[in-house]
Amino acid sequence: MNFAHASALAWAALVIPIIIFYILKIRLRRVPVSTTLFWQQIFDEKKPRSLWEMLRHLLSLLVQIAILALLVLALGEPFFKWEVLEAKRLVLVVDNSASMNANDVLPSRLAQAKEEGKRIISGLRFRDEMAIIAAGTEPQVFCGLTGHQRTLLKALDEIPATDGPTRVNEAIELARRLLVTQKNRKVIVLSDGGFDNAETLAKAEDVQMVPVGKRTGNVGITRLQARRSLIDPVGYEILAEVVNASDDPVECRLEIDLNGEVVDVVPLKLAPGAAHHQVFEKTSTAGGRVLARLNRADALPADNQAWAILPRREIRPVTLVTKGNLFLEKVFEANAGVKLSVSRTPLKSAPPAGTLTVFHRDVPEKLPNGPVLVIQPSQSTDLWEIGETLQNPIVTQQDKDSPLMAHVRLDNVLMPEAKKLKPKGQPKILASAVSGDPLYLAFDRPEGKVLVLTVDLDKGDLPLQTAFPIMAANALGWFAGTKGELRESTATGSVVEWELPPNSTASYTLHSPSGRPAALPVRSARATIGPLDQCGIWTIDHGTAQVDAKPEFELACNLANRQESDLRPPQDWAPNSNVLQAGFGGRPLWYLLIIAAWALVGMEWYLYQRRWIS
Amino acid sequence: MPLFDSEFLKKLEYLSLVSRRVFRGSLLAQRRTMQLGGGLEFADHREYTPGDDFRYLDWNVYARHDELLLKRFQEEEDLHVYIFLDVSRSMAFGTPPKFDFARQVGAALAYIALADLDRVAIVAFAGDIVADFPLTRGKARILSLLKFLENLPAEGSVTDLARVATGFVHRSQRRGLAVVISDLYDPAGFQRGIDILRHHRYEPHVVQIYDRKEAEPDLRGDVELYDVETGTLRKVTVTERNLRQYRELFGRFQESIQQYCNTYGIGCTRTSTEIPFDELILKMMRVAGAVQ
Repeated sequence: MNFAHASALAWAALVIPIIIFYILKIRLRRVPVSTTLFWQQIFDEKKPRSLWEMLRHLLSLLVQIAILALLVLALGEPFFKWEVLEAKRLVLVVDNSASMNANDVLPSRLAQAKEEGKRIISGLRFRDEMAIIAAGTEPQVFCGLTGHQRTLLKALDEIPATDGPTRVNEAIELARRLLVTQKNRKVIVLSDGGFDNAETLAKAEDVQMVPVGKRTGNVGITRLQARRSLIDPVGYEILAEVVNASDDPVECRLEIDLNGEVVDVVPLKLAPGAAHHQVFEKTSTAGGRVLARLNRADALPADNQAWAILPRREIRPVTLVTKGNLFLEKVFEANAGVKLSVSRTPLKSAPPAGTLTVFHRDVPEKLPNGPVLVIQPSQSTDLWEIGETLQNPIVTQQDKDSPLMAHVRLDNVLMPEAKKLKPKGQPKILASAVSGDPLYLAFDRPEGKVLVLTVDLDKGDLPLQTAFPIMAANALGWFAGTKGELRESTATGSVVEWELPPNSTASYTLHSPSGRPAALPVRSARATIGPLDQCGIWTIDHGTAQVDAKPEFELACNLANRQESDLRPPQDWAPNSNVLQAGFGGRPLWYLLIIAAWALVGMEWYLYQRRWIS
Repeated sequence: MPLFDSEFLKKLEYLSLVSRRVFRGSLLAQRRTMQLGGGLEFADHREYTPGDDFRYLDWNVYARHDELLLKRFQEEEDLHVYIFLDVSRSMAFGTPPKFDFARQVGAALAYIALADLDRVAIVAFAGDIVADFPLTRGKARILSLLKFLENLPAEGSVTDLARVATGFVHRSQRRGLAVVISDLYDPAGFQRGIDILRHHRYEPHVVQIYDRKEAEPDLRGDVELYDVETGTLRKVTVTERNLRQYRELFGRFQESIQQYCNTYGIGCTRTSTEIPFDELILKMMRVAGAVQ
């Protein structure tokens, strides 16, 4: 046996005062009495017990010395060599992913996992050390290696429930890195097995799987997206996917709302393991929150509903300055998202802010501020110099990646004439002729975007081609500045980047679906959100206390994870959970010595009471 | 504070008046002794034996029954009161000391007796007779009696009532009332001493005095008992059980005193020092009155 603090043994010198006090105690308090006649009768009768009384006093001294010896030994903190050599280094990986919120075991799988964790912690021996890592959404170390059980229990209690995906593999890797220099290491995983590679990990030597939960069926919405139609200006589409992750067929109903108004209700009959996909095509200019619900209660509520954000269709004012072109007027009129006004004469004043100004042929020398579309310019401006007429230009180069050219092919369009244009600056060439002259180009100037089409619409068949309205729609979208018409619903665990409004210097607050606020870290023009760990609508605002303040940004977040929705453990998952050995309640030797000392104190107390009372 | 102050003397006078009212002349000097002699009141007959005084022959009986019987009369005389006061060291024990209480009781009894024209003597005793206040008569002697009592120290040796009684009865003196005021902590037993008095035709009356701490000691734990009377030491561990046993033994001792006195028709008064001495005297008078 060794001592961690051998110098503490010097406290053994206290035995000297104890003995001195014992000797002093023998000089008893003298009490005068008028007669000892009666006392003699009492104590003479008890003579046979006097030896025991004497021993009792001696025993009391011995007990006191023993108490001191135990306390001194405890102060010395004794330990055995094998304790140090065989001390375990453990990492407890607690799966707090969405599937661990299932209530097939009450109150939840996570609560059961925590109970198991507590049991394991209480089984730690002295000098064993443990770390705790949560493996939901993203691996997170909740407690570093320590042998202090209260700290471990506190850390275990602090692990929150999340709707995030399981990250057990990453957590185990993290745990292995933590233990890489340790001997007798082991990673203990408390999980329901809903992660990749579970079967292999269960057989790993350094991994101990403790299964949580039971085999339970579940039906969940695994995908929900809503977007504006690319064809129909007022149309939108909703994509929904429902999976039956159970061993039995299921009948249920999928209800879809837009801002609280029912959009569609679909009865579903799902075979075991089957998935139902459906695209709902609807019309409305209104945007808002799309909510899909399953009317079936099961063990995992998180995937029984899902959200999506449908962007609102904005009506854009367009001023067309032309001496007359029917195709041009009609292509804008036909767009439900456009409010067209036509001017036959040049503009005398600047257009209102937000108005798209379309110049056909006649174009001012200095383009007005704001978005401008120029078709077949007839003169030079501050952005280009006009050249001669270009005969029969054939489009040979087209920027396919630009949203302006999405679904557009100009190589087979007959264009007899176009204007040669020598741009000032570095415009983005969207389409150019074989001679290299730009036919369709975009300027990004600080005052507003400018788009120029040099083709003569009165000649050729461009206005008659489907490419023409598509080009107009793309141009409107490009000027609007939105990236298409989809605000994607993200899955939990994702990280989202949000582009800040231009020239924004304000601070922002991110609100979780449960209402938990958090300051949003802003880096340059973008802010990073996530990893998102709750299903629902996440909002960003300026953090004001106004209840009806419109959020700057809304983001739908859904479980959208078939693996998390599947509450059944893998078929070949055979964890061996019987290797956890309890020690001496995690108590060090000095603790046991203190307990023994207390027992002796109790004995001394008994002897004392016997002397005084019995 | 003097033991016998003016307040004490007032109380004595009051007790004296009360005693006259209670006993209406039947106490002490005006009471008949158990001695037979030349009194006026007929007591009984006995057979004539040669040498008896013919004057006391009952001729009427002789005439009727032809038997010579002698008439006997109760003798009326002054009562002699002997107050035996224990001055052993054990009497100094208690709060207030038992000895002070005993002296006050003794003084009160003496005063009442002197006021009733009886003769009073004080016998201070412990292992033997320590001091005497000889027989005296008349209220005028009360002050010297009180002075005697006041000067008595409680420093006597171990109580030996038998030896005291033996020494006392061998004195040539008249019989009378023997009031023993003591705690009766006689290692050989108090009964022997009282028996000797009784056998020598004294009328004993026992006044046992004890302190509350003697009846209910508050000792506990490891203590060294010091017997103030014998000077002996004893190391003991007093437990609650021991205390219970002590209380039981003390109670049994008290009962034995009462039982002994009842057996032999001896007046007995047991008292704690907690009650005032005058109350005790009144109580004694009430008991004596009821008995008569």
